[in-house]
Amino acid sequence: MEITLREDANVTTLSLKGRLDLATGSALKEQIIQLFEKEKTAIHLNLGEVEFINSSGLGSLVSIMKEIRLRKGRLTLSNLASYVQEIFEITQLSHIFEIFATEEEAINSYQAVTAG
Amino acid sequence: MPKYEFTYLSAVASEDKMLDELATVLHINGIPEDLQNWFMLAISEAFTNALVHGNKLNPHKAIKLALNINEGLLTADITDEGQGGLAKIKRRQPPTLLSEGGRGVDLMRHYASVVRFTETEGGALKVSLRFDQIKENEVERYT
Repeated sequence: MEITLREDANVTTLSLKGRLDLATGSALKEQIIQLFEKEKTAIHLNLGEVEFINSSGLGSLVSIMKEIRLRKGRLTLSNLASYVQEIFEITQLSHIFEIFATEEEAINSYQAVTAG
Repeated sequence: MPKYEFTYLSAVASEDKMLDELATVLHINGIPEDLQNWFMLAISEAFTNALVHGNKLNPHKAIKLALNINEGLLTADITDEGQGGLAKIKRRQPPTLLSEGGRGVDLMRHYASVVRFTETEGGALKVSLRFDQIKENEVERYT
């Protein structure tokens, strides 16, 4: 899996490409932990190019979300392919993640929270 | 009636290798993309279970994947070299929303027409998956 990182004023965006499974889920979590060390806890994941996700990948996302919540941060997701969206709905994880249709909407939501 | 058999070492990197080979097999047999996705997902769940819970990432233990691809029907058998896997499956508790694991069996059962867990003579776990390409009613489930 390829991870592209972009840091904006309010949020750090990671764009994921490839499969999100046992191995890559761990790699993603390690990268997020490195962001925590820089006190970055507002994190957006663009899943638009995730071509495959399984329960190990979902577990990694849940773990990341819990770590971010512990740090009083915020995690958002966007651009889920219909295949990935369906898995979030089947597992009911769509109820606990903040999911946006587009990256732009997600990033704007951080600005709205900051402004508010 | 194409049949395929693969054997993998119990290493985390084997999952990607398995998915690459599986994607190639499904592509050359002209399996529709949606069905490819669900079949790969269910197999990956059984594979991860075999890797982590069955073989406990022991590099001396293997995972076998057997595929049958027929018109209207896909089947897969995933067999580990662990012990007591069937009992663990029967004892499993459903995950909570914030659980980091435990969703694999539910995903297999959701997408496959039939999921069957059996124990080999040596005590290892075999997960048998069947996907009907034509009809999805009359879903059978075994535990």
